[in-house]
Amino acid sequence: MLSFIYYIREFLRPKWITTFFTARTPPLTTPPYFRDFPELTDKECTHCLACMMICPAPEAIIVTQHEGVWRPEITKGHCIRCGLCIEACPEDVLASGRILAYKKEEELTLQGTFHIEINQSTCMGCGNCSVACPVNREIDPALRSSGTSTSDEVIMRIDTGQNKVLHEEKCTGCKTCEDNCSNKAIRVARVVEALQGGEE
Amino acid sequence: MSMLQYLKNTVRSRSIHVAYVNVGSCNGCDIEILACLSPRYDIEQYGIYVHNNPREADVLLITGAFSSQWEDKLKPLWDKIPHPKVAVAIGNCPISGCVFNRPETLVDPPVSKHIPIAAEIPGCPPRPTEIISTILSLAPIIFKDYEETKK
Amino acid sequence: MKKTVDVSLPVGPMHPCFKEPCRIKCETRGEYVLSAEVELGYVKKGIERIMRGRPWQEVMFLAERVCGICSVIHNFVFIEAVENISGIVPTERAAFLRVIVNELDRMQSHLLANYSYCYTIEHETLAMYLLNLRETVMDQLELITGARVTCAYIIPGGVRSDLSAEDAERLRSALDHIDAELSRFIRIFETGPLIALRSKGVGILTKEAAIEAHAVGPTARASGIDNDQRSTHPTYKALGFSPIIRQEADNYARIMVRFEEVFQSTGLIRSALAALKEGPIRGGGTIKAGSIKYRNEAPRGELLYELTTDDYGRILEIAIQTPSIPNIQVCAHEMLIDAQSAADITSIFISSDPCIACTER
Repeated sequence: MLSFIYYIREFLRPKWITTFFTARTPPLTTPPYFRDFPELTDKECTHCLACMMICPAPEAIIVTQHEGVWRPEITKGHCIRCGLCIEACPEDVLASGRILAYKKEEELTLQGTFHIEINQSTCMGCGNCSVACPVNREIDPALRSSGTSTSDEVIMRIDTGQNKVLHEEKCTGCKTCEDNCSNKAIRVARVVEALQGGEE
Repeated sequence: MSMLQYLKNTVRSRSIHVAYVNVGSCNGCDIEILACLSPRYDIEQYGIYVHNNPREADVLLITGAFSSQWEDKLKPLWDKIPHPKVAVAIGNCPISGCVFNRPETLVDPPVSKHIPIAAEIPGCPPRPTEIISTILSLAPIIFKDYEETKK
Repeated sequence: MKKTVDVSLPVGPMHPCFKEPCRIKCETRGEYVLSAEVELGYVKKGIERIMRGRPWQEVMFLAERVCGICSVIHNFVFIEAVENISGIVPTERAAFLRVIVNELDRMQSHLLANYSYCYTIEHETLAMYLLNLRETVMDQLELITGARVTCAYIIPGGVRSDLSAEDAERLRSALDHIDAELSRFIRIFETGPLIALRSKGVGILTKEAAIEAHAVGPTARASGIDNDQRSTHPTYKALGFSPIIRQEADNYARIMVRFEEVFQSTGLIRSALAALKEGPIRGGGTIKAGSIKYRNEAPRGELLYELTTDDYGRILEIAIQTPSIPNIQVCAHEMLIDAQSAADITSIFISSDPCIACTER
């Protein structure tokens, strides 16, 4: 009985009555601060591969060249909308929600150092990693399909049947070599630091 | 198509029954489907009714990256749904396996290997608005050219 | 031989009341439950196997996807564990922002759990009220972090984005709205005679049984056990945290503990907002080698991460102990026994707030 009275009181509240008669569902909109799929701004991509380095989802972002212009491409269905690529990009090429505005305002950056590790007992010396590496291809376009190169400037090359790392500091951490290795012999350790402001 | 069939299809496309099945998701997409039920989004005002009975459903929402337990279970479940029917993949997991599609994983994406998928909603997880608008845009398509076959 | 078991009653794996697939097998006599067993394994993904050999920026997202409902706490515990290994201290502002987001996540998780319970006992009005209130909380999470469910807000040394004064004001008014609405819903829950019939005295978990079976979280606190890992966390200590404990040990107590914890969370967020000082939100710092066991309180109970990292900050070994593992066992072996009707099986099971995705990973 008590609850009966309670329910009557509940339904006689002016607010309940007004909402009952004027109830309208809000339209299906997405708020502006929602972190949606990253979109391209009009800034120019410099092919630094920071977005591919930070991306936590497999095959979600890839930097490709179209008519001489580098451009990051997001694969929907793989991208998890984490927004880390927007924070990592030094050129502000990507934008989503309020992340780009925050990043500029508070000088947020993600910086990394990289370390290439090759398990010599499983490495077959096939050269897939050296050929696939986008930095290698840029430095020495004449890199052969076996992974051998005459240039000493490349990150890694096949030398006497084994993969030798020459310039670890040039690595951008894009994980392309990891994806192309059929034996999982090459691993890139990415030590990333989240920083704010110009110091450090 | 007879007039009666056309009428039936039109009426049916305005009352859609939905069942959802979790084939190894992280819960994120499931609670976004649940959020569609809330008075904020109110999925029932569009004539979509969520209940977990595949025998009454028109649309099957699939979340998750397909774990091995479901290998022999998803196909029979799909066969139980009466015609016409569609399956919608919700989130990245049924499409690509999301972050779980890595070496050493126990899941076996995509789900389209096992049952036909009519629509995919990318996002990890997709917003309730995206889920509702996809189901609504599918609604007229499911019943458009359907004709009952006499036995 | 005298036959004692009439029916072996399976519930699930697909059941309208469960958000996730799981099967409860009950041995019943009539409707009286003699024993129960929970069968799991439908959503096993092998997250810990995937995590090995990966840096924090990938493991962080995998940790979040252990459980979609309480994703923030997994992120929180994992990041604080690697921070403790490498001696990184988050900036003061970031520490309070973490607590704010974590408590918002706890609120939505508790509201969802209570929604499920009310839905299971067929009080759909209250369930929909709670689900709508949860949307308010989700809006605040989205406002601060930019995403509704998997927020990815906490990173080593700080947080991803700042909380502006304008957003803090919106958050405060939303908290007032939640407090006002929720006290009405609690009155409905407390005074409803039909709710009392389905909840009071159902699913009793005595204190002794709870201690013996290592129940954690609201399930344990409703049985009078003082067990809340937040009381050892430095930021929570600074905010003056004390756990909520009830003695009734039934379904009603478990739901009421969650309701009261939502109030407690709004209080914690208010005091964190008041304590928030201007300052940087990121302190930098790289992950070093070491191993640690780190625990904190998830919405469902104690969450433990045990991990080892190498010199380059990669995770070598990781083990996650989620709160639902002991809670589901307690539910099956203590609470479900002596349930008077088959309808109580689902309501008792839901009242312990099981999260299958957490349990199986």
